[in-house]
Amino acid sequence: MDFSPTPDTPEQQAFRKEVAAWMKENVPDIQGDRDSDENYAKYREVGRKLGAKGWLRPTAPKEYGGGGLPLDQAIVITEEMAERDLGLPPYYDSGGWLGGASILVWGTEEQKKRFLPPIFNGSLVTWQLLTAPEAGSDLAGTTTEAVRDGDEYVLNGEKIFIGGSHGCDMMWTIARTGPKNERHKNLSWFMIPSDLPGVTIRPMDMLGDGGEGVGASVKNTIYFENVRVPASALVGGENNGWQVASTHLELEHGGGGNIGRETWFSRAVEMAKKLKKNGRPLLEDAEARTSLVDVFVHSEINRLFGVRNFWMNRTHQPMAYEGPQSSYYRKVHGLDITKALHDAFGPYASMNDEKWDVSGGELDQYMRGSIVALHPGGTADIQKVIMARRIGMGRDVAESAGKTVE
Amino acid sequence: MDLSLTETQQLLKQSVEDFITRDATRDTLIEVEQTDRGFTDEIWRTASDNGWVGIVIPEEYGGGGAEFTDAAVVFEALGKGPVPGPMFSSGILSGQILLHTATEAQKKDYLPRIASGDIICTFALTEPDYTWGVEGVHLRPTEDGDNYVLNGTKLFVYDAHVADFVITAVRTGDKPDDVSLLMVDTKTAGVSTRKLAGFTTSESEVVFENAKIPKSAVLGSVNGIKAGLDKAITNSTPILCAYKVGGAQAAFELSVEYSRRRVQFGRPIGRFQFVQNHIVQLVNHLDAARWTTYEALWKLDTGRDATVSVHLAKAVTSEGYRSACDYAHEVHAGIGVMREYGLTLYTRGSRSLYHAMGGPRYHRKRLADLIETIAADPE
Repeated sequence: MDFSPTPDTPEQQAFRKEVAAWMKENVPDIQGDRDSDENYAKYREVGRKLGAKGWLRPTAPKEYGGGGLPLDQAIVITEEMAERDLGLPPYYDSGGWLGGASILVWGTEEQKKRFLPPIFNGSLVTWQLLTAPEAGSDLAGTTTEAVRDGDEYVLNGEKIFIGGSHGCDMMWTIARTGPKNERHKNLSWFMIPSDLPGVTIRPMDMLGDGGEGVGASVKNTIYFENVRVPASALVGGENNGWQVASTHLELEHGGGGNIGRETWFSRAVEMAKKLKKNGRPLLEDAEARTSLVDVFVHSEINRLFGVRNFWMNRTHQPMAYEGPQSSYYRKVHGLDITKALHDAFGPYASMNDEKWDVSGGELDQYMRGSIVALHPGGTADIQKVIMARRIGMGRDVAESAGKTVE
Repeated sequence: MDLSLTETQQLLKQSVEDFITRDATRDTLIEVEQTDRGFTDEIWRTASDNGWVGIVIPEEYGGGGAEFTDAAVVFEALGKGPVPGPMFSSGILSGQILLHTATEAQKKDYLPRIASGDIICTFALTEPDYTWGVEGVHLRPTEDGDNYVLNGTKLFVYDAHVADFVITAVRTGDKPDDVSLLMVDTKTAGVSTRKLAGFTTSESEVVFENAKIPKSAVLGSVNGIKAGLDKAITNSTPILCAYKVGGAQAAFELSVEYSRRRVQFGRPIGRFQFVQNHIVQLVNHLDAARWTTYEALWKLDTGRDATVSVHLAKAVTSEGYRSACDYAHEVHAGIGVMREYGLTLYTRGSRSLYHAMGGPRYHRKRLADLIETIAADPE
C-alpha cells in the first residue's frame, strides 16, 4: 500500500516548486475575518487566477474549462492550497462543485459547453438548492414545482438552508416536474441564473454568525414566485432527477474523499500553550493533554476515511457505504471533538468575549458550527440509513453508490 | 497513492483463507478452543511450513524477509478465522526482539528455528502489578557465578504455556531503562508455566523459583537493549492490530448475514433502524481500526517514523475490536452467546487481546506525551 498522496519523483518536485512559486506571487496572505466582503473579494480574485491556469478544477476536462491535469498534479495543487489554509475553490461554491459534477455525468454536450467553463474558470459562484421546508431530509418530497409552459418552465416554491453570505450567480436546484404521487419519478434538476425575476433571497437567523460552507451559520431562504426559466436549463432529462441526484449526493456525502488534514489539533495545541492554568500553560495539564489526544484520534480517523474515499473515487474502485460513512463520522465526531475541546479549555471553549476570548472566536464558532453541521447534505441519521442500504442490512441485494466522475 | 493489496499480498491472503476453509472452519475452531493448548499441531505446522510464522524474519536467518504489510495481510486473514496459536508471539514479536537486541550468534542460533516452527518463543514483560512498558519490569535477578537466579512471576504472558523459550525482561540496574532480556528455556529447573483460566485466549503465568539462567542467555548486552526492544515492539504491534482487524471484519460479516436471515415481527431484523445502527457503529470501528493499522504499516515499510501511528493504531484497534464484538452481540442477541454459533470466538479474542502489547489507555498516554511532536509535524 502507498498512503503518500503523490509519488515524490523529480517531475512532481519540479511541479510543486512551480505551483508554490506561483502561489507566492498570486495568493495574498489574508488576515482577519475570512468572511468579510473585502476578504471574500480577494478569494474570488485568487479563484479567477487559478481558473485561468486550469488549476481551480485541475482534473476537470480541458474541453469544458478544467485543467485536464493528471491526478498527481491535482494533488500537489490541492496540497499547496491547503498549506495556505485554503481549499479548491477558496470560497463556497457547492453548487459549482456538485452541480458541475452532475452536469459532467448527466448533461448534454451542449449543456457541458455552456454551463461548465464559467464554473471551472472561477467566474461564477453557484449555490445548491435542495432542502425544502416541508421536505427536509426527504429530498424526493420537495415541494418546489416546475411546470412546463412552451419553451420555459415556471418555478414556484421555497428552499431553505441555502448558500452563504456573499450571494451567488447561479442556482443548482431540484424541483418537482411530474405528478405528486409518482415519487422518485417526478423530479428534475435546473441550472438557473440567480437574478431571474421572481427569485428572492432572505438570510436566516441561525445559531452562529459568519462563515460559509458546511457547518456555516449564514444560510438563506430562497423564494421562487413564477420564475420563468428556459427549458434548456433542465439537466439530465425531465423526471430523471432522482438518478441525477445520486451523483450529487454521492459526492456531497463524502464519496469523493479528501486528502486534507484538519488543523484543529495543531491549532488547539497552540492555544493551550498560551492559556494559563494555575500559572502554568494549559498544555502542561495532564487532563487537558488527554482531551487533546481525543481530538487527535478523532481527526486521524476522519482523515483516513477521507483518504480511503479519495483513493477509491479517483481510481474508480466500486464504492458502497464509504461516502455516507465518512459524512456520518465527520458530523458525529465533530461534536465529539468540540466536547474534547470543551473539556480541555473549560468555559473558554464557548467564549467570544472581547476581553477573555483566547482563540479569536474560533473555539466558540467551532462549537456552534459542529451543531449546525449535523444536518447539511442529509442528517447523521440519513447517512446511517444510506449505509444500511449500501451494506445490504436485512436485504439480499445491497444498493450501489451513485455514479461520479470526479 | 494506492491502498490496494499487491498480487503477492492477495496470494498470501488467499492461501490463509484456503487453509481456513479446508482445515480451520469455525466448527473446528470451536472444538480447538476447549483444548488445553488452544491450538493444534496441524495449525502450527501449516503456519510454519507456509512461511507465515517467519514471514518478517530476514531471509538470511531463514525467514521470508517480507514487508510488514505482507505479514499484516496474513495475520488479518488468520484473525478472521480466528486461527489460534503462537504465530504472533513467536514469529513476529520474539523474532523482532531477537533481530533488534540479540548478538549475531544468538540470531543465527534462534531465528532460523523460530522461522521453521521448530521452537516456539514468547515475550514476558508484565508482572502481577500489571503495567505495559519497561517501567512495569520489577523482577530482579541475583547473580551466582555464571548464572542469574530468578525468583518471581511474569503474568499475562501470551502463549508461555506452549513456549520452548520465554524472552524474560528483568531489571538489572537502578535507572528506569536498566532492563535486560534473558532467553529462558522453559525446561530449566525452577521455571514453570501455566495457562490462566478466564475469558482469555493464551494468557499464562511464568513462575520462577530459584531458576538458574546462564548469563550467556542475556540477549545482546546487559542494560543495553531498550532502544532495540522499543523498535521490536513498534514493528510488531501493528501486525497484532491486523489480526484484530480480521476478527472485527468477521464480526461485521456475521452481523450483516444475520441481519438478512433472522426474521422478527415479520421482517428481516436488518430492516430495523436500531439494528442498523449497531452494524453502522460496528463498521465504523472496523474501518477506523483497519486504516489506522495499515497506515502505520506503510510508514514502517517505507522507513518513516511510525511511533505515533502505531500508538494510534493500537489504541483505536483495541477499542474498535472490543466495540465491534459488543455491537455484533447486540445484533445477534441470544444466538450470539451460544458457543456453537462462533461469535464468542471473536468476543473472547477482543477481550484477551485488548491489553496485549499495551491497552488503549497506555497508548493514549504515549500520544499525550508526544503532543508537541505531533503538533509540530502532523505527518
